[in-house]
Amino acid sequence: MKALRKIAESTIFAYSRSERKDIFQFVFARYGSYVVLILLVIVSGILQPIFFHPRNIFNLLLRASPLGIVAVGQLIVVLGGGIDLSVASLMATTNIIAAAGMLGRNELCLPVSLICLGVGALVGLTNGVLITKRGIPPFIMTLGMMILLQGIRFVWTRGAPRGTIPSLLRFIGTGRIWIIPTAVLVFGLVAGVGAIILYYTTYGRQLYATGGNRQAAKLSGINVDKVIIISYVICGFLAALAGLVLTGYLGLADNWAGKGYELESIAAVVVGGAYLMGGRGTIEGTIAGVLIMSILVNMVLLLNLDVELGMIVQGIVLIGAVAFYKVKKLG
Amino acid sequence: MRSNNSEIILEMRNISKSFPGVKALSDVSLECKRGEVLCLVGENGAGKSTLMKILVGVYNQDEGEIILRGKKVDISNPWDAYRSGISIIYQESNLVPHLSVGENVLLGHEPSRGFIINPTKLYKSAKTWLQRLNIDINPRIPVYKLSVAQQQMIAIVKALSLNADLVIMDEPTSSLPLHEVETLFNCIRALKNEGRAIIYISHRLEEVFQIADRVAVLRDGKRVGVLSREGADKSTLVRMMIGREVEEVYPEKVKTFTVDKEILSVENLTSSTLKNINFKLYRGEILGVAGLMGSGRTALAKVIFGVDSPLDGGDIYFDGKSVSLKDPQRAIGAGIGFVSENRGEEGLVFTLSVTKNISLPILGKISYLKFWLNKNKEKKIARTLVEELKIRTPRLNTQVSYLSGGNQQKVVLAKWLSVAPKLIIFDEPTRGLDIGAKAEIHYLIRKMAENGTGVILISSEIPELMSLSDRILVMRKGQIVGELSSEEIAEHRILSLAAGEKED
Repeated sequence: MKALRKIAESTIFAYSRSERKDIFQFVFARYGSYVVLILLVIVSGILQPIFFHPRNIFNLLLRASPLGIVAVGQLIVVLGGGIDLSVASLMATTNIIAAAGMLGRNELCLPVSLICLGVGALVGLTNGVLITKRGIPPFIMTLGMMILLQGIRFVWTRGAPRGTIPSLLRFIGTGRIWIIPTAVLVFGLVAGVGAIILYYTTYGRQLYATGGNRQAAKLSGINVDKVIIISYVICGFLAALAGLVLTGYLGLADNWAGKGYELESIAAVVVGGAYLMGGRGTIEGTIAGVLIMSILVNMVLLLNLDVELGMIVQGIVLIGAVAFYKVKKLG
Repeated sequence: MRSNNSEIILEMRNISKSFPGVKALSDVSLECKRGEVLCLVGENGAGKSTLMKILVGVYNQDEGEIILRGKKVDISNPWDAYRSGISIIYQESNLVPHLSVGENVLLGHEPSRGFIINPTKLYKSAKTWLQRLNIDINPRIPVYKLSVAQQQMIAIVKALSLNADLVIMDEPTSSLPLHEVETLFNCIRALKNEGRAIIYISHRLEEVFQIADRVAVLRDGKRVGVLSREGADKSTLVRMMIGREVEEVYPEKVKTFTVDKEILSVENLTSSTLKNINFKLYRGEILGVAGLMGSGRTALAKVIFGVDSPLDGGDIYFDGKSVSLKDPQRAIGAGIGFVSENRGEEGLVFTLSVTKNISLPILGKISYLKFWLNKNKEKKIARTLVEELKIRTPRLNTQVSYLSGGNQQKVVLAKWLSVAPKLIIFDEPTRGLDIGAKAEIHYLIRKMAENGTGVILISSEIPELMSLSDRILVMRKGQIVGELSSEEIAEHRILSLAAGEKED
């Protein structure tokens, strides 16, 4: 009996009720997205056993990859205290450039891809410079950039984009190496490099500090403007990369390729536990967020429900996540 | 107003509260009478703020009860507190800067018909409230134009207008210049005469003796005792607060520097807020800077550190060389550190750990090619400094927001020590800290000077300046209006120079 009590005392029951509540909130804030992800996988499997079919898993991950790549970029911007609404528009722009430039020829794949990535980085640079040096709020700046790119696309294509996607890019979007989709490998690489940059480099540390407290970071000798500009450049670059992968997946030129990815990437980052105020968030959390959002869409398809219903569930998950992650500050 | 002056208005019985890993309060009881000022003192982390936050419903207690005007009440959120006639005034003002004084005073209960506010009535009513406390401020001017003290007073008037008969003040003077404290005290006395009860939290024992009727002391989340003002003296209180004797809070200044080694020389410095500043600082010297708020003290510090206000003219020589420090990076690179007056907004990144805060200014030095962090080196540096400064933190990677104020300030110091600066500027380094933490910070400042660092110490606390400084510059309206050597440092002279009275 004594031993039993000792065990009980060394566990969560040793704490008072309100302590337990605080601990629960703390654990939930830190690991909540993983808990939700695991529960979601279990529930999905119960509702529709096909969910675990390798073919479905393959498709699920394939479709999640472009979102994952943008979300890593979005996370980096959000960590620095910003937001990037121009990513989806940039993805579509990449799609148009890739289709028009590659003309279905594999040997043009690399040079045109490099141009696309360059355009992405340039768009990010423009966002970053105007946000830091001219003091334009990130929301407004990137909203403007989103509309601007959209306009350029329509003026250029006159509403009817042309071009064909070469098989090499198709392979990146839909193919596989052994049993792993190529797109997932790209996403994995991006997430891995992202994690290394965030956790092991001076830039990562400066980014967390800048997002956590810009003034304190500045007074500690960090060039906060530079840190923020680089975050937008990385985000633009990754949005272009995601655009290329998505283009390979779609296999056609579409003025609206990637539509909705700006909000979905922000949702994934937030569901993954990041603060929109900046300074807090992880790559692992973001991956969980991306998977959660993707599984919801996947389940809607598997259960033959309306796509609109999926949007309703995604909305609820997003709001619910933020409502539950809110951690009480200790006095 | 119910006039029975000895009536007990508030009783808190056996309050306990825990946070993860910390027992913040255990079995604390407190009572407060009408027409009384009850001072609540204790070191940082003693539980004062937690206790008050329970009273106003920000936190809920784990155990214990609150009895208000003889009835047991359940205050589970700030709205309950407001309806029960409890009002709290925080260290930092909770006013809306762009609304007028009147609008702020009556915020949330404006005289109105339906949704339409009646401005004439609003300002008339606001004026009446202001007059009750003899405050001569035009209710139509926006709050951001007021001084900090005036804002504090508006916050008090606001509490009054809510008909609060229990007013809690959490270190209301921590951001007030000395001469405005008395105005605030008059305000408190007026409240008292109206039969309201005041719970006053403070670190400054001098104030406690001026204003308190009774003093309650908390330590480590427990009530150590309650004394009447007559029964309280400074050494008793200090002993009760920190649980040991403090030999001397302000020990004698020992001269340590030599005049021949100049570290900083400022010549004819002029900017939008500074006029023709000239001074020199020597290695190992502590140069005090006195002056009222807005006298240019902080502006001077920021110009030297390369933040804000570009220079209109003048030269800065650092370590014998003419320098132009346009941004903090260059200043830090040259070997200058700056402990800002506001550690929450400018000193620390609360979302980061102790280690990560300490290493912020030296990321370039603890990395390969300024890119790849050497985490072992980082941890080693942080551990050394945490031990050296005796920073009380559960672990090195505890988030700084979980530390007490004094320990947070030590983290700021550790951060600058990691740079090994040749010059360090302290702006109000002990504001809001308790006696124990203050003494430790003072010790660290001295030690830095003894090791040859040049120190500029900006402070509103004259005793602090007097005990630490080798020389004191007095500033007023962006100019240096006086320089006192260690021999002629006398409190009244600093005050009169700062306030602009004629010298006798």
